[in-house]
Amino acid sequence: MPAFVSRLNAVAKDWVLGIQEYFTLAYKALRFIFARPFYGQDLVQQMDAIGVQSLGIVLLTGFFTGMVLALQSAVQLQTFGATMYIGRLVSASMIRELGPVLAGLMVAGRVGSGIAAQLGSMKVTEQIDALNTLGTDPIKKLVTPRVLASLIMLPVLTVINDLVGILGGNIIANRMFGLPTSFYWRTVWEQMAADGFTLRYIPNDFLQGLTKPFVFGGIISITACYYGLNTTGGTEGVGQSTTRTVVAASIAILIVDYFLTQLLLSVVGT
Amino acid sequence: MSENGGDDPGKTGKTEAPKDEDSVPAGGGTESAKGAPSAEELRRRKDDEKRRLADKGVKPVLGRGGPQAPFRRQVDQEPKQRSLEVREAIRDELEAERKEGEAERGEKGGKGKKPRGRDIIRLENVFLKFDEPILEDISLVARDGETIVIVGESGTGKSTMLRLILRLLIPDSGKVLIDDRDISHLSFDEALEVRERMGMVFQGAALFDSMTVFENVAYPLREHTELTEDEIEARVKEKLEFVDLEPDRVMEQLPAELSGGMKKRVGIARGMANNAEIMLYDEPTSGLDPLTTGTITRLIMKLQRELNVTSIVVSHDIRSAFRMATRIALLAERHIKFFGTPEDMAASEDKYIRDFLGGS
Repeated sequence: MPAFVSRLNAVAKDWVLGIQEYFTLAYKALRFIFARPFYGQDLVQQMDAIGVQSLGIVLLTGFFTGMVLALQSAVQLQTFGATMYIGRLVSASMIRELGPVLAGLMVAGRVGSGIAAQLGSMKVTEQIDALNTLGTDPIKKLVTPRVLASLIMLPVLTVINDLVGILGGNIIANRMFGLPTSFYWRTVWEQMAADGFTLRYIPNDFLQGLTKPFVFGGIISITACYYGLNTTGGTEGVGQSTTRTVVAASIAILIVDYFLTQLLLSVVGT
Repeated sequence: MSENGGDDPGKTGKTEAPKDEDSVPAGGGTESAKGAPSAEELRRRKDDEKRRLADKGVKPVLGRGGPQAPFRRQVDQEPKQRSLEVREAIRDELEAERKEGEAERGEKGGKGKKPRGRDIIRLENVFLKFDEPILEDISLVARDGETIVIVGESGTGKSTMLRLILRLLIPDSGKVLIDDRDISHLSFDEALEVRERMGMVFQGAALFDSMTVFENVAYPLREHTELTEDEIEARVKEKLEFVDLEPDRVMEQLPAELSGGMKKRVGIARGMANNAEIMLYDEPTSGLDPLTTGTITRLIMKLQRELNVTSIVVSHDIRSAFRMATRIALLAERHIKFFGTPEDMAASEDKYIRDFLGGS
């Protein structure tokens, strides 16, 4: 076999093996949510680290994105004398796309890198082996609380992101384009209602907006844990794992976002 | 071995080292209670041994020889003769270490001493391969209360053997038996049960960074026992005292605030917290200064002596190996090159073993 073919073969094998390990880790992490012992204290700690401590960065991102979105769309809409639609535009963009994706990307950068670095350091200093020898499954103790905390906290962060984004839009629409606040919020609601409801009360926009962060939360935490637990090569390896996590999670969020949008549109329509 | 010759920690002097031996409480008191030689007696024997060596005209080479032992120069002058003398000196010195260790362990007899008890750990024809072969045809037995020291060059798979015993790795073929039970085919939960009987001390201690010393030592108790908080605290204090740490001073400290030697001691306390019957040590003395090395070595011997723990120690440090081992295994080129008493090892004529001990 020529050298490059055998090299290609080895790379492909590694790749397939990596994907298998990734999904095995995901499966175990989710399965352990329902297994004893349940590390409740670790879960609360992680919810704090992943959710509460990411609040600042998410608030800032959401607020300024909402403002810039209102500004850009208003400039375009002004040409047609349609600035009254600012609320609809900001609402649709924030709730469906920008809210979940931006929150996801910010959390991938902040939390994903943190998880990978922490687990990576534990791996290279043999703390993961120590857990194993002390009779604890590292996946149950370390991965499950992080995954569960991400699954819970990312939707919460997204809702907050949406809200401050729309609020930022409101400020711009009101101050710069003279749109009354009550009118702005009415158009926001109209936009949500216009896309129909699931189970009578849940706006479809919202359903889309909350399914995505749930999936992104899983992607970020599992990717970070996967790279963290597979760290080799000392401190340099920890650095590599951190970088890989942020790159892989960010790309995965953007790609999965597209396919998820397609899927959700085909399921709930509009 | 030249780095161990004239220019090494031996400079700390002949007189200081024995002083240190006495100053550590781990040794003396308990031995004299059992009728074993006191620290005073040990020091006297050691001095006798040194005098005997000096009479032969041979200077110590293994680290405590003092600054006046420029072997390199002498070897250049009369290579063959000197080489023989060096070997003899090493053997004599290692023999002295062994006797001293034996005395500290409270054993008598020495040569021909039969390892006692039933087999606790047994490796039978173990083969392991990752990208390339790591271990080939490894067989090893540790009996009840024995201390087996595995020595060998770096990267020969010594630590891998510990991971096999812990079932963190599974051999490609062969058996790893703990109490006659093959652990290779156990499920994850069954393996956890076996691991609960073992304590492992990692090379870098592997204490959990985010937990205090107390939480680290209490971890196995919280995970695997139904002890109350008061009982856990009492047990943690007891174990910390056993490793010569002051519980009230260190319990609330984080691992990052401890020195290397203290970390190792906390690591040992955590390993034995659950009253482990088997202790595994991965390079327990690496990266430590000679005095702390002595302290850790004595601690391992104290565990064996007072609690009759079966131990497997992976080490580079041939001096402490001779001191604490009931038997030594030399791992070389994926095989066990030698497995026997320290005495037999020192007497071996095999070239590799002689080279390893530093006599070529």
